[in-house]
Amino acid sequence: MANADATLAGSPARASTRTITPRRGSKAGERRRGRVGWLFIAPFAIVFIVFLIAPLAYAFYLSLYTKGLATGGVPVFSGLDNYIQAFTDPVFLGGVLFVAHFALVLIPVQMVISLAVALVLDAIVTRFTRFARLMIFLPYAVPAVIGALMWGFLYSPSFGPLTQLFGANAPFPLSPDNIFYGLMNVVTWQWAGYYMIIIYAALRGIDPTLYEAARIDGANAWQVAWRIKVPMVSSALVLILVFALIGTLQFFTEPAILTQVSNGSITLGFTPNIYAFNQAFQYSNVNYASALSFSLGIVVFIAVYIFLFATRKRGGFLR
Amino acid sequence: MKSTPMKGNTVKKKALLAALTAVAVAGLLAACSTGGGSTTSSGTSPKLSNCSNKYVYPKAPEVSVWGWYPNMKLVVDNFNKLHKDVQICWNNVGQGGDEYTKVQTAITAKKGLPDVVMLEADHLATYEIQGALVDISKLGADKVKSNFSAGAWNDVSGAGGSVYAAPVDGGPLALIYRTDIFKKYGITPPATWDEYAADAAKVKAAGGPLFGDFGANVPALTMALQIQKGANPFTYSSADGKKIKIDLDDKTSQDVLNYWAGLVANKEVGTSDQFTTDYISGVVGGKYATYVSAAWAPGYLTGAGVGKGASSGVWAVAPLPQWDTSNPVQTNWGGSAFAVTNQATDKKLAAEVALGIYADPASLKDGWTNQIIFPLNQSILKSDAFLSNQSAFFSGQTANKDVYVPAENAYKGINYSPLTVYYYAQLQAESTKINQGKETGSQAAAAVQASLVKYAQGQGFTVTK
Amino acid sequence: MTTARITLASTTRPKTARGRRRQSDGSRVLPYIFLGILIVYFLIPIWWLFVASTKDVTGLFQGTSGALWFDKNFALGSNLADLFTYNDGIYLRWLGNSVFYSLTAGVGATILSVLAGYGFAKFRFFGRRFFFAVLLGSVMVPLTALVIPDFILLSDLNLTDTIWAVILPSLLNPFGVYLMQVYIKDAVPEELLEAARIDGAGEFRTFIQVAFPLMRPAFVTVLLLSIVGTWNNYFLPLAMLQNTQLYPITVGIGLWEGQASANNGGGHSLWGLIIVGALVSIIPLIIAFLSLQKYWQGGLSIGAVK
Repeated sequence: MANADATLAGSPARASTRTITPRRGSKAGERRRGRVGWLFIAPFAIVFIVFLIAPLAYAFYLSLYTKGLATGGVPVFSGLDNYIQAFTDPVFLGGVLFVAHFALVLIPVQMVISLAVALVLDAIVTRFTRFARLMIFLPYAVPAVIGALMWGFLYSPSFGPLTQLFGANAPFPLSPDNIFYGLMNVVTWQWAGYYMIIIYAALRGIDPTLYEAARIDGANAWQVAWRIKVPMVSSALVLILVFALIGTLQFFTEPAILTQVSNGSITLGFTPNIYAFNQAFQYSNVNYASALSFSLGIVVFIAVYIFLFATRKRGGFLR
Repeated sequence: MKSTPMKGNTVKKKALLAALTAVAVAGLLAACSTGGGSTTSSGTSPKLSNCSNKYVYPKAPEVSVWGWYPNMKLVVDNFNKLHKDVQICWNNVGQGGDEYTKVQTAITAKKGLPDVVMLEADHLATYEIQGALVDISKLGADKVKSNFSAGAWNDVSGAGGSVYAAPVDGGPLALIYRTDIFKKYGITPPATWDEYAADAAKVKAAGGPLFGDFGANVPALTMALQIQKGANPFTYSSADGKKIKIDLDDKTSQDVLNYWAGLVANKEVGTSDQFTTDYISGVVGGKYATYVSAAWAPGYLTGAGVGKGASSGVWAVAPLPQWDTSNPVQTNWGGSAFAVTNQATDKKLAAEVALGIYADPASLKDGWTNQIIFPLNQSILKSDAFLSNQSAFFSGQTANKDVYVPAENAYKGINYSPLTVYYYAQLQAESTKINQGKETGSQAAAAVQASLVKYAQGQGFTVTK
Repeated sequence: MTTARITLASTTRPKTARGRRRQSDGSRVLPYIFLGILIVYFLIPIWWLFVASTKDVTGLFQGTSGALWFDKNFALGSNLADLFTYNDGIYLRWLGNSVFYSLTAGVGATILSVLAGYGFAKFRFFGRRFFFAVLLGSVMVPLTALVIPDFILLSDLNLTDTIWAVILPSLLNPFGVYLMQVYIKDAVPEELLEAARIDGAGEFRTFIQVAFPLMRPAFVTVLLLSIVGTWNNYFLPLAMLQNTQLYPITVGIGLWEGQASANNGGGHSLWGLIIVGALVSIIPLIIAFLSLQKYWQGGLSIGAVK
């Protein structure tokens, strides 16, 4: 008990002293309420432990073993061998490099588009812009599987409209040279509207008197947008970036669906997640696949950490 | 403000109650809606509670089956009508690769396999080495051996007379071609691969369409064509399951890849993956003069809309071109069988199903008349109805008698390895590089060989060449 | 003031001031062209899907009017009839399953998120920060790492190939908890809760009667996000379900695509069904989003506005 008290009074509780009016017996009350807090969290915590922590622990356990088709199916403890193999596996590293490159190009493009649209929609409110807002957001309502399937059809040279629009020399967006942009287009189509809405909602939350003040100071619309609006929504941008970064590094559904129509451009190790999936479900290397997944998790964690560190002044996310 | 101090005890109780209520609400919400989820649930045996078919004799013991034949529903109903002692509970969990993904998951989890599973012959060894399949030779398979050709039986057999599946259909290869295009450019079906290449060049020179297609995503076909020239990719026997001989870059394997690489480089054949909407559009639109494919291809093409409208009445089939007409070799692509899994509750009963499903005359007839399958059962292959059948897709040609039955009878079987999935993936990746002009056939063969040897060693095999 | 940070877009802004400023804006042509191009870009695939849905198989593969315009034969009606009757109407079953899964899992995940978010925001207890950090870190776990262990876990409970295999894992929505926590921290004043407690209300009554009404925008947002998340889910049900009767729409269409690629329709072209099926499958969510827009648009900025 004393122990718990000490912790409560220590660092985690510092925030609480601000909000809760200090009064006699409040510590006992806090302690009691702390237990109530756990009760509120308990249902979620149970699901979290059963469906996330436990499977993860099991997957980690698997990743420390190796098992071969010819070794009678008996797993042999191999320590970190699978991880050493993963971080020296050219296919895995190639996949990581691809998604990192993809993220570096895709995310800025997506951000610029969604930010630009959000700023325009915030500045001009007419029936047309309301309509535009909804239409641009619409792809978010399309499941990623269906979206990828649809683009696969559209990209198909003789089945889709490309040949018809560009003639016999129409580009095939999934050819090895174009696949990068072909996939970028699918992802941008799917998510830009969603990001736009988040930024837009954040823009609408800004107190308009700020603009009036700026206007009195002689700022034009561009200056208002650049000096006031963008900084005011910077934490929204950071939030989006973090999720875009995580999502892109774990890129899976779209390339997985488009594999069938990519004429071989999407290889079995195209992204780390696809590689892990194929190792587990095609080549029956569950142990190695688990190690690959954890290795990817480590990469994602480091990337997000670096990113948050770099932008720590901007957003309050993950505080 | 009224202030009634409460005892901590009551607060605790109330809070506990609150949290419990919350959990209960969440549970209840989910529970009261279960009714909407499943109508076929019987509740007694969770494994078999969900079938895509209805039972004819609901009280008989059940056997669960996965299969993807297009007419599977009819096949299952036929079986259930004929069997008072056992009923099939069938599901289609996906075709080919989709199903294999589920099979592999269930093997890994040691749970979730059905009693009987449909597999292609080239995948049997992969699951057999993991102990997932049951030897059914003594469970009735030996008794039906005489119904099948030696080649067909070889494909489902392991070491020491073991049998891991009951064969249903096969895929003898032949050359499907467009009569309109052949007529226009004045050519007849090539008897040899040299003639095939010469015709391809002739059509190309005359400004005609592509002569064929080298699809990277059909590695099983590529392998079959290599075997036709004498390649022997794997030597493997479950009798000594730790040893494997891998020979994927011998002269013949290289020759076949170089042959197609040459046609690709000359732009005489296409490089499109097959079974895609784009490929079908091409086939329908007369983009390809020939289609090297198996006996089940007409059914596939029909289902995709080929042979209707503008592309009707233009298809014919000829025997597969040969490398040496004095020593013709027939080969095979695809074809499936039913295997009993080690997770089956009653293996004997499961074997009865594996051997009995798609073996009754009504089901087989439905299969071959619609050209969905090419049956392997000799009673069909020898029957007049089958031999004299005039294929609608091939404009009345007696394709079975002229092409497919002779091809099947001359087929010797293939020695498949437990590395099929990985092998196909590598062959596909390297064929893609051929199509992209990044590799020669020889380089591709060498790359596949190196990759397979490394993988096999990683899996604990002793590899020889 | 903290509460002002999280506001509902459409309601808070003084309209008059805003309107006046708007009118002073100069050229609008450029933004309009910009938006017009974007609308075309975002709608083209859906337009193509609609056009393709109106074609029969011959029109799809041999049509002469091109991929972006209608064929001679307008077959939408017969395609829909085909879609709803193929294989004993399995498509409707899939659609129903998707609705059922997303509603149950969505509501369940939202309730858990609200409770946990409230717990994190309004109570101080041992391990709170640690658990919250773990929760946020969990977003970074690749799904492939979880599928096989999840499958083994659920099959040990005899739950694979049941609706529970889809619903139970979908109850997990760490991001929902985060959103609720951020929102509740600011939108539910401590003084109000304190007053209720002094009034003698129990913790749960305080939660239901005092705190919950203040959470509505965040509640609706998390609910919608959870529903969409489950509706779009593909990987999990694909791995967990064998019985096609239990498939959600995404996995069902995926199954058809695999079958179409290998002539599994048995003489019945599945490509047409896949296309019209894809069209019908996106309609429910589009309707939901359009009709509920005033609820979710503001809520999406939670956690982003500081």
